[in-house]
Amino acid sequence: MDAAQGGAGSDDFVGLLRRMGHMSPTGPIGPMAMPADKIPQTQATTILAFKFQGGVLVAGDRRATAGNTVVYDRADKVLEIDRHSIMAIAGVPATAWEMARVLEHSFQFFRRTQLQEMSVDGKVRALSKLLRDNFGFVLQGAGIVVPIFATYDSGADPAARLYFYDAMGAQFEVADYAATGSGSPAVRGILYYENNWGKKPLAKLSEDEAVTVALRALDTAAESDTATGGVDRNAKIFPVIKIVSRDGITTLPEKRIAAVFKRRVA
Amino acid sequence: MIEEPYRWVEAIANRAEYIETQLAAGSPIVALGYRDGILFLTLGKTRQKLFEIYDRIAMGAIGHPGDIERLRMAAIELASTEGFTRSAADVSLRRLAHYSLSPILKTAFEQVYGAPYLARLVFAEIGAKQENDLFLRLDYDGAIATNSGNFAQTRQDFGALSGTRQSTELMEKYLAAEHSAGATFERALRLGLDAWTVGHLALGDAGVKDLPARDKILAERKERLRAAGIEAAVLERDDKTAIRYRALTEPEIRSGLGD
Repeated sequence: MDAAQGGAGSDDFVGLLRRMGHMSPTGPIGPMAMPADKIPQTQATTILAFKFQGGVLVAGDRRATAGNTVVYDRADKVLEIDRHSIMAIAGVPATAWEMARVLEHSFQFFRRTQLQEMSVDGKVRALSKLLRDNFGFVLQGAGIVVPIFATYDSGADPAARLYFYDAMGAQFEVADYAATGSGSPAVRGILYYENNWGKKPLAKLSEDEAVTVALRALDTAAESDTATGGVDRNAKIFPVIKIVSRDGITTLPEKRIAAVFKRRVA
Repeated sequence: MIEEPYRWVEAIANRAEYIETQLAAGSPIVALGYRDGILFLTLGKTRQKLFEIYDRIAMGAIGHPGDIERLRMAAIELASTEGFTRSAADVSLRRLAHYSLSPILKTAFEQVYGAPYLARLVFAEIGAKQENDLFLRLDYDGAIATNSGNFAQTRQDFGALSGTRQSTELMEKYLAAEHSAGATFERALRLGLDAWTVGHLALGDAGVKDLPARDKILAERKERLRAAGIEAAVLERDDKTAIRYRALTEPEIRSGLGD
């Protein structure tokens, strides 16, 4: 509305939300009442992503927990942000899903108002800013989010790109793979091993082989980490697997994941 | 001086005349419902005149670029905040136009010490089915015209916008006679181009008053295409993706026209 009343148009959706009172002015960073060792450092879940022949594969288990309780068995932690971007989340769902929503609208808002796509650097930075604004909540012991961001860069040097973040918003671009969440140490071990001493490096895997590695890794994580759902063999609940490539995002149908699972994992 | 009611009416009339003069040369814009979506088409030299507002809403505009920009931003901001705080399904063109844009335009138009918007807009919103498609024209004074049917008026599957009333009415007359909702994309593209040409022929003091003959339309269309390019965009009915707006590329337009 400000624009209509003579103000300069803005390209910043978060700024617009704040102006309209739909978002608090800044993150509540303030004096901290909680000792540092009480700040929750674990994010109960496992998500992983790695580059393979067909782009970037992003996979996440389906379990949502509250303390020792499993509250939901069909959570979707691999979220599509736009036609070429995926954000996969470990952490507090309420904050993470809201961040994904803000991000999704920010990218569209920028594209519509500025009549051009936001650059990959711009997108990566936008998520970083959201994490930084949220850090006050993290310090207060609630709302930690540690995401992975995968996108296809169709700019001057076209390639699939993969980033992981820390809870403060630092972003790291990775060449091969990334994993986050409570089950990630096991997954990181497997991906490191596969990449160096497996039959072929991750980047050379076909889609079937990549899905196999992802399922095996998540199943391994679930073996020791109670907060990771892995593959639920009884209820037939499979991880969510999405692939980012030049053509956009493909969500693998459950049937296809089930078939690979049956043949090469179970 | 405008404290007196008569003076106010006079001032408003003057400003309407001024705006009409400013808009009179505006290149027409056609929005046509066809089998698989809604097509927006216009001819222009450089400036972009068709815009995406939200997932299912598009806009075409003539007028001053600065004013168009302010209205476009207002529309996008309103739609985006609504889509974010509620859901994309709650963003509706009817509400956007009636409760937000129309009052903004009317207020600016009637406050004679401030500047009015030199702009005229046509919007379309794609529905789940063709009978839910909404076409809506918004004038500089906030007046709204839609395609909706009732017992007194048949529903139309198109919207037209031009620099003058005469031109707009002639385009509507042409489309009402020639256009059918079940048209293919190719047919809609050709018809849109013809309707644009009719609108263009009707512009200016020497503009045609009645529908021109077929060969005259074709000759004019050929002549105009030499000097200007076609700008076109579609709202697709296919609900595979949330975002339905897509600007058409030149090869797509050319192959659609069979060039």
